[in-house]
Amino acid sequence: MAEQQTVFVVDDDQAVRESLHWLLESVGHRVCSYASAHEFLNAYDGTSPGCLVLDVRIPGMSGLELQNHLLERDWCLPVIIVTGHGDVPMAVRAMKAGAIDFLQKPYNDQTLLDRIQLALELCRQRRHSHQELTRIQANYRQLTPREREVAAHVVAGKANKVIAIKLGLSPKTIEVHRANVMFKMHVNSLPELVQLWMRMETPAANEVSPAS
Amino acid sequence: MDYPANPFAWVLLSAVLILMAGLVLHVTRLNLRLRHSKQVLENEINERRRAEEKLAENENRLRQIIASEPECVKLQTLDGILLEMNPAGLALLEASQPGDIIGTSVYDMVAPEFCDEYRTLTERVFAGESGVMEFQIVSLKGRRCWMETHAVPLRDGRDNVIALLGITRDITARKHAEDEVRLHYRELAHAARVNTMGEMASGLAHELNQPLAAIANYSRGCLRRIRSGAGAAEDMTQAIEQVCLQAERAGGIISSLRRFVNKEDSPHRVQDLHAIVREAMLIAGPEVKLHQVNVRLNLAPGMPHVLGHAIQIEQVVINLVRNAIEAMGDVPPERRYLTLRTYVAEEKAVVEVRDTGSGLAREMQSRIFEPFFTTKSVGMGMGLPICRSIVEAHGGALISLSNPNGDGLTFRFTLCRATAEEIDG
Repeated sequence: MAEQQTVFVVDDDQAVRESLHWLLESVGHRVCSYASAHEFLNAYDGTSPGCLVLDVRIPGMSGLELQNHLLERDWCLPVIIVTGHGDVPMAVRAMKAGAIDFLQKPYNDQTLLDRIQLALELCRQRRHSHQELTRIQANYRQLTPREREVAAHVVAGKANKVIAIKLGLSPKTIEVHRANVMFKMHVNSLPELVQLWMRMETPAANEVSPAS
Repeated sequence: MDYPANPFAWVLLSAVLILMAGLVLHVTRLNLRLRHSKQVLENEINERRRAEEKLAENENRLRQIIASEPECVKLQTLDGILLEMNPAGLALLEASQPGDIIGTSVYDMVAPEFCDEYRTLTERVFAGESGVMEFQIVSLKGRRCWMETHAVPLRDGRDNVIALLGITRDITARKHAEDEVRLHYRELAHAARVNTMGEMASGLAHELNQPLAAIANYSRGCLRRIRSGAGAAEDMTQAIEQVCLQAERAGGIISSLRRFVNKEDSPHRVQDLHAIVREAMLIAGPEVKLHQVNVRLNLAPGMPHVLGHAIQIEQVVINLVRNAIEAMGDVPPERRYLTLRTYVAEEKAVVEVRDTGSGLAREMQSRIFEPFFTTKSVGMGMGLPICRSIVEAHGGALISLSNPNGDGLTFRFTLCRATAEEIDG
């Protein structure tokens, strides 16, 4: 693992916060805890990997508002909501705002630890696919306008001859453009290219989508 | 007939005759005077007899009035020895004849717990004052009843106080009625507390959940460290100390709640007003947090103690705080300010609960203390009327005021300060 992950805890109740800190440390997590959403936002740099364990009812900025902040800033920190007395509408709102789980206090510690493990794994995946996407997009930017045009038709399943007629070019030229696309995008086959294309169009297709 | 020829004899005879005539005249005059005196004397005797008759008649009338007076009329010495008592008094004490009572001590009848107060009253009366007192007596047959006595000094012609004149009436029935009212009012206040607690249940459950969650976290963390052999003894000790603290915190919450819904009233005594306010804020805390209300506690330093029932005062504070929270429901959270202020004004302790809600029109304000009047969609409209009864039973007043700048309401209630003797006692 290149970077150590951190479990961020936001809970206004000092005893709950510190005890959670203690519990998470007992399984070897790195923990940072905060008494309010503002405290967390002031401290978080936006890039540190990990997950956020958040009490939904905190004074000042509520847990839900904090979730929306994360979404707006495009921070891909998975969120686990814990609450003392939640209800269904609250859980629905939390999940819609991208929470990966909603736990009622008092929760089973194993359940919480499992969810945290899951969240950290998700964070790794998200970061990985984010990096991959960045790489694909960088490759895509290498293509000339004509190559992008040809690539779009290729991905749409059109034969070289058809593309040639459509663009008013010779099939030979299309052949060259096509080879360039495959080279610049670092793929060896048509199905691979199609996959990359789909990734670019729906960046979060293979993970829990925060934007629903 | 032989007349004395001596001229001296004639002179003597004449003198004797004149003397006799004068004597007769004198006697007659004396007689007249005597007759006159006798007349005067007779008149005087008659007058006196009439006066005596009138006096006897008056006394008789007075005796009859006193005898038929339905209240107990009694005369008593400084030591408490009973000198006189009318039949109503004898009946009250269940005495079959005056001899059972007259000459005995009043302290045989006054219930022990009132003897000191009665003695003080007696001393004041013999010092020339008058006074009223409520106390209990135990009759000769052992029956307890409530009495109210008006005691005044009885003076002789030289203005010396010679006895205590007491007019006493049986107020047992009135006392029972008062007790009944108090009981009903206490039951109503208790019902309101239980109701409040029910409405706050979910918030309070949350409040209780926090220490429980902390305990679970600490102990699970300890277990994991023990199992992995990673826990340093010092860290573990600290964690377990936290477990104890949190268990005490949970216990504290439960005992506050239990006290709050207890049917038995806390005793009426000297209370630390600020301790009551803090306890109330502890119970109202979850609700404050839930509605994201900013609380400002503005408690005057050196606040005097008050006299009353802690739980009832707490009930009033909680009620006003909850009303304030609800009043701010339509205001954005950053503008929700609840200010709880205490101070002393005109020898009374004052508590103010101020909100920054939307306020109330004047005509509504006059009605909020009416039973079953409510501006809310939930609730019975009994909260404020009960609060007002509680405050008034404590000798204070509860009023509502519009805030000067037009946002929100202030509820203000007063309580009696405890006197120095009450604090020492």
